[in-house]
Amino acid sequence: MRIVIAEDTVLLREGLAGLLEDAGHTVLARVGDAESLLAVVAEHEPELAIVDVRMPPTYEDEGMRAAVEIRSEHPATAVLVLSQHVESRFAVELVSADGGFGYLLKDRVLDVGEFLEAAERVAGGGSALDPVVVKELLVQPHDNDPLAELTPREREVLGLVAEGRTNAGIAKQLWLTEKTVETHVRSILGKLALPHDGETHRRVLAVVTYLRASAV
Amino acid sequence: MSRLRIAAWGAAIANALFLALEVAALAGGQTDWLPMWFVPFLVAAFLAPSVVGLLIANRQPRNVIAWIMLLGPLVLTVQTGLIVFGEGWVLQADRATWPLLYAWPIAIAFVFPNGRLLSRRWRRVVGLAIFSFAGFTAMASLDPSPFYGEDASVSNPLAGNTVGEALHVGWTAWILWVGMLASLFAGAYAIRLRLRRSTGIERLQTMWLAWALALVPIVLVLCFLSGLLGYTLGVTVIDWIVFPMLMGIWVATAAAIGIAITRHGLYAIEGLVNRTLVYVALTALLVSAYAAITIGLGVLVGGDSPWVIALATLVVAFAFRPLRARIQDLVNRRYRRARYEGVRLVRAFEDEVRDGLRAPEEVSAVVAEALGDQLAAIYFWLPETEAFADASGEIVDELPRYERSRRDIGRDDARTALLLHDPALLERRDLLDGVLAAAALSIEMARLRVEVRIQLAEVEASRTRIVEAGYEERRRLERDLHDGAQQRLVSLGVQLRRLQLKLPREAAVLSPAFDQVVDEVGAAIADLRQIAAGVRPARLDDGLLEALRELARSAPVKVEVEASAERAPASVEAAAYFVACEALTNAVKHGSPSKVAMRAIRENGTLHVSVVDDGVGGAVVRRGSGLAGLRDRVGALGGTLEIVSPRAGGTRVEVVIPCES
Repeated sequence: MRIVIAEDTVLLREGLAGLLEDAGHTVLARVGDAESLLAVVAEHEPELAIVDVRMPPTYEDEGMRAAVEIRSEHPATAVLVLSQHVESRFAVELVSADGGFGYLLKDRVLDVGEFLEAAERVAGGGSALDPVVVKELLVQPHDNDPLAELTPREREVLGLVAEGRTNAGIAKQLWLTEKTVETHVRSILGKLALPHDGETHRRVLAVVTYLRASAV
Repeated sequence: MSRLRIAAWGAAIANALFLALEVAALAGGQTDWLPMWFVPFLVAAFLAPSVVGLLIANRQPRNVIAWIMLLGPLVLTVQTGLIVFGEGWVLQADRATWPLLYAWPIAIAFVFPNGRLLSRRWRRVVGLAIFSFAGFTAMASLDPSPFYGEDASVSNPLAGNTVGEALHVGWTAWILWVGMLASLFAGAYAIRLRLRRSTGIERLQTMWLAWALALVPIVLVLCFLSGLLGYTLGVTVIDWIVFPMLMGIWVATAAAIGIAITRHGLYAIEGLVNRTLVYVALTALLVSAYAAITIGLGVLVGGDSPWVIALATLVVAFAFRPLRARIQDLVNRRYRRARYEGVRLVRAFEDEVRDGLRAPEEVSAVVAEALGDQLAAIYFWLPETEAFADASGEIVDELPRYERSRRDIGRDDARTALLLHDPALLERRDLLDGVLAAAALSIEMARLRVEVRIQLAEVEASRTRIVEAGYEERRRLERDLHDGAQQRLVSLGVQLRRLQLKLPREAAVLSPAFDQVVDEVGAAIADLRQIAAGVRPARLDDGLLEALRELARSAPVKVEVEASAERAPASVEAAAYFVACEALTNAVKHGSPSKVAMRAIRENGTLHVSVVDDGVGGAVVRRGSGLAGLRDRVGALGGTLEIVSPRAGGTRVEVVIPCES
C-alpha cells in the first residue's frame, strides 16, 4: 500500500512510518503540516493518507480540513484521520458521507493488528470509526427508540458494524462464525428498517447515518 | 494700611469736615447762599460720592474712579476754608471751580468701570476735555473783573492783576465753554457706547450709571440758559432747577456705582459693604436697646441704679449673637440676593441628599443652577489615576477649554474637584465662593462616590480579565496535555510495539510482557485524556451543545440536553459548561434524581443556562463549595447564578451570563 503521513510530532511520525513499513507498506512521504500534505498527495496520489487533526500553525483542525479537501480533490486517496481526543461532529459527518474515510483515536495505533486492518479497510474504500465515537452514538438518546428492541448481542454487532468492520472482522472479534454474524446483521437491519445488500461499506454508511439522524 | 488708603481716609474726612464748616456757616448766618431746607440734600450730595469712593479705595487703593469720587467733591468743599483769607477769595474760587461740579461725574463716564478708556482714540477726546476744563478754570481763577449781583460789594482780591487782564479775552472763554460742553456730551456718549458693547454682568454694572450721566450735559445747557435769562431778563427761577439737578446727579452717580458694587459684584467689595452695613446696623440697634433699657428702667426705678446698667449690659450681651445672625441674614437677602438664593438652593439640595431623595453626584447640576450658569460643571479629581471624572463617573480625558474659567475646589491643599464656569462669574467672587463653600460637603461626598464607583468598575473588569485568563490557561494546559504528554506516550507505545514485532524468535517469551507494558501506556493515555477533559473539555471547541451532550452521555442518569447552536465567547461557554457540570454532579451525588434537564439558550444578549432535576432538593450553596466558586466565576463575567431547591421539590440551578452576539 502506498501511504503518506502527516503528523507534526516527529517521534510519532517516524514510529508510525516504521510500523507501516514493517508491515510491508510503502511510505512515500512524511510531512508535518497540512499544506505540505496537500502537496505530497497531489504529487504521489497515494492510496492512503494518515493525517493528524491538530497541526501547525494553529493546532485547531487543519488535518480535518485537509482530509475533506483530499477526499473531494483526490477521490483515489483514502484518508485515515488520527485524533488526540474525540471530536465526533466532523468525524461522523465524514464517515457517513462516503467510504474511503476513517477516524481513529491515536492510541488505537498501539493495537497494531487492528490499526493495520483499519488502514487497509479504509484504503480499500471502506470506513473506520473509532469505537468511542460509535459508543457515543449508541448511548445517545434516540427518538422512539427502535434500538431498544435490539438484543445486547445485536447492539454489540451494530457497534462493530458502525466501526466499519466486515462480517469476517466482527466474527473474529466476537468469536462467532461469519454465518451467525450475518444472521445478526440481517436481524438488526430489519429492526431498524434499513436496506440490506451485500456491500459492507454501504451498510456502514446506512447504519451511521441512521444513528446520527435519530440521535436527539 | 498703605499710604494711599490713609490718603483716601484723609480726603474723605477732610471732605466731611469742610462740609460741616459750610453747614455751620449756613446755620450761623455767616452766609445765606443756600436756604436751610436744602442743606440735607447738599450734605447727601457731597458725602455720597465720598463714602462710595472711600469704600472702593479701601479695597483697591489705586482705583481711578475711587479717587475721582474722593477728590471731586473735596475740591469744592475745600473752598469753604478760604474764608480765612476773606470772602473775596471764596467768591473768586467759586468762579474758577464751578466746572468741577460737572467734571468729576463725567470723568467717571470716560473710564467706568475698569479705569481705562474705551480705546486709544478716546485719548484725544479726554485731552480736549482736560484742556477746556483746566483752561477755563485757570482763566477764571485769574479773572480780575469785579463780582456782581448780591456780591457786588465784595472786592475782587485779584483785581487788576496783569496776567488776568491780559488773558481776559471774551471769545476765548466762549471757546473753552463750548469745549467743556462737547466733553460732557462725549462723556455721556462714551458711557452709552460702553453700555452697548458690554454684555452680562458688566452691562448690569454700567446700566444705571449710563442713565445718570446722560443728564450731565443737559444740566450745563440749562445752567447756561439760566445765566442768560438771569442776565438779560433778571429771571433766576432756573437757578433753582439747575443746582438741585446737579446735586441729584451726584447722588445718582454715587448710588449707581453703589448698586454696581452691591448687586453686581463690581470690584468684589460687596463683602466689605455687607460687613459695614451689618455692623453699623448692629451697633445702632444695640445702642438704642441699651439706651431704651437704661432710660426706661431709670424712669421706673428712679436714679441710675447699677442694677439697671447691669441688666441693660446683660440684655445687649445676650442679644448680640442672635441679632447679628438675623441682621446678617437680612442684609444678605437684600444685598447679596444671588448668593443668598444660590446658597439656599445648595442647602435645600443637601437636605434632600440627607433624606435620600437625591444623589450627591447631582451637586454639579445644582451648583450650575445656583450660579446661574447652565454650562457650569464640576469634575471630580481622582488622585489615584490622576484624572478627572464627570458626575456620571466617566473619566474625562480632556476638559472643555472653550470660554470657561477653571476653579479648583478642595481643602488643605488637596484638590477634590474642579469647577468650569463662565468667566463672567469671576466678577462675582462672592456668589462663587458662597455657593462653593455651601456645596463643599456634597462635592466631597460625590467625589468619593464617583471614585468608589470607578474603582469598583476597575476591580470588576480585572476580575473578568483574571477569570478569562484562567480559561485561557486551562485551554493551554489542555493543549499541552494532548499535544505534549499524550503524544509522547503514543510514540512510546508505537516504539515498544515495533521492538516487540522485531523480537527474535528465541525472545518471543518477552512478548506478553510487551503487551502488558503497552497496555499500561494505553491506560496512562486514557488517564491523561480524562484529566485533560477535566481541565477543559476539548468538546468545547465544537460548541456548548456538543460539550453538554458529551457530559450527558457520561452521566449515570437520563439527561435531556437543549442548547442553541449559536456560539458564545469562549469564556462564557466555559463558565456555562462548568456550571452545568457541577450542577449535574451535585444532582447525581445528593439528589438521586430520575432525570435531569440541561438547557443553554441564547436570548436577549445573554446566555441562559438551567439545570433542573427532580431529586430530593434542599440544596444550599456552602462557602467554598463548587457552586460558590462557580458563582464567583459567573459573577466575574457579569452574570448571576441562582439556586432554587425546595425540600422534596427538586433543584433548579439558573445562570444568566451576558454575551454580546
